[in-house]
Amino acid sequence: MIQETMSRQERFEVVVALEKPDRVPVMPLMTAFAVRAQGLTQGEGWREPEKGFRAMLDTFKDLGGFDKLYKPNLFWPMIGGRFCATPVRVKIPGRQLPEDALNQIDERELISREDYDKIAAVGWNTFWEEHYEIMSGGRPIERLKTTQNRLLDEYIREVEICQSQDIYPLFGAYVDSSIMAYSMARTLTQFTIDLYEVPDKVKAAMDATCDDLIQNALDVIALTKIPLVFIVLERGSGFYYRLDIFEQFEWPYLQRYVDAFIAEGLTVWFHFDTDWSLNLPYLKQLPKGKCIADLDSTTDIFKAKEILGGHMCISGDVPASLLTLGTPEDVRKYCQRLIDGVGRDGGFFLTTGCECPVDAKFENVKMMIEVAKTYKGKD
Amino acid sequence: MKRFEAIEAVKEAINSGEDPFAILTACREGMEEVGKRFETGEFFLSELIYSAEVFKQVSDILEPRLLEGLSEADSQGVLVFGTPLGDIHDLGKNLVITVMRSQGFTIHDLGVDVPPQRFIDEIQRTDAPILAMSALITPAFVSMKEVISLLEEKGLRERTFVIIGGGVTTEFARKELGADAQTLDPTEAIQLCRAHMKSLDSLKA
Repeated sequence: MIQETMSRQERFEVVVALEKPDRVPVMPLMTAFAVRAQGLTQGEGWREPEKGFRAMLDTFKDLGGFDKLYKPNLFWPMIGGRFCATPVRVKIPGRQLPEDALNQIDERELISREDYDKIAAVGWNTFWEEHYEIMSGGRPIERLKTTQNRLLDEYIREVEICQSQDIYPLFGAYVDSSIMAYSMARTLTQFTIDLYEVPDKVKAAMDATCDDLIQNALDVIALTKIPLVFIVLERGSGFYYRLDIFEQFEWPYLQRYVDAFIAEGLTVWFHFDTDWSLNLPYLKQLPKGKCIADLDSTTDIFKAKEILGGHMCISGDVPASLLTLGTPEDVRKYCQRLIDGVGRDGGFFLTTGCECPVDAKFENVKMMIEVAKTYKGKD
Repeated sequence: MKRFEAIEAVKEAINSGEDPFAILTACREGMEEVGKRFETGEFFLSELIYSAEVFKQVSDILEPRLLEGLSEADSQGVLVFGTPLGDIHDLGKNLVITVMRSQGFTIHDLGVDVPPQRFIDEIQRTDAPILAMSALITPAFVSMKEVISLLEEKGLRERTFVIIGGGVTTEFARKELGADAQTLDPTEAIQLCRAHMKSLDSLKA
């Protein structure tokens, strides 16, 4: 074991500020995994939030503790009707899926091409206030608001309980990037066609969306009181789009997000699913030591270190396939390589590449945490 | 050329009596060019998505006129394709299928959440030499492994080239699951399947 001289909070703050911690901080981004690790079905975790919360805490403890808790429960915090992300249809275990299946997004067209003009005219929040019921086949938005507000209250209560036990949930709010929000609202294919055929309409809608999304996230953070915002990105990367599209439809809004969030004293977490290699140089334009680039193992993390090292903290990227199919020895080697190549001089947070898979082997996740607590890196 | 222009051009060509096979061939050549530019990095996935959508719409127009003339014997290769049990994602699968069809492959698409035995039944029914499975989440690994075990059990493994793809797959997963190939890139999937079909041809020769 490495002699610890910092608290969990200090260790996290130090790596975000690009300084060297006493040891590399570590966190599996676990949700469904924790539910299964406690012998519950996914359906139970979704139906009974108290069981979901207990599963997070118990699994955190069973794994020996680590530096941040990704989420205290399965759901995301949001103020009723004030969407921080597109209200996608999620198939829930025990309802639309088998009792112990993994919850999954059922991607469908939620808005039409004509709706870009409406959003441009009235903004994101007002649009959904009017459109939600139509989109959801008659489900009243007031019912949804009640559920969301109840879950937000739960989230706040759970955060307080966690913190009283020296466990620190990661984020105060989450928010979709502009491309993510519209790609999920239109579907990847239709949104891509829109970008080529009606780019001005898309742009106008995004212009009218950005401030609402920022404010929605800030208002959630005012309640959860965790000074970190988690930005969900995937669809805007160079894996999907050429850089002129990124420059027009993603980057300006991300800059606005970051300016607004940093002005409020928040840390910004970029959850970069898919390959962002082409986009990484842009991140050097953002303020130094204020953000985290969280990679899912499809972006080359070693190249990312070359580009962002000394400017932005990097987190990642133990692959889902390794945690599910590999052995503890495979995981140990992989994590040690990350610490040697990305983590030794600070500015690195050892995490799972995207979420910890539901069927990850417990001993593999445990090994990932153990490596952070024991391995100093090559001399 | 934009989508509507391409569709109009195809309709005009049909109305002026051009051979539907010649129109399809021209469209396939266009898709091949898109694929080449994607491989060199000139085009991005978005251009592939856009072109695939145009091709799909053009194919829908041409299909009724082609049905009588097309047979699997003309195909570049026959695949059974699906998202395994436990996973309901199909964006990547559908894109790859459209691109592969545009290049002359015949695809038997089983959809999503496909039970292992269903893959086996379809391979036996169609005699397809290639099985493609796509996944975005890890629970699909268990199903993939079961499919490959069943192929072995039924004596079909030797003659079935198994290719996997989708966000959660890696080279590590390919080895662990016992698949023959893995890719996240639609054009690479075509190359791998073509290479396999070529190797079968040379065996026959």
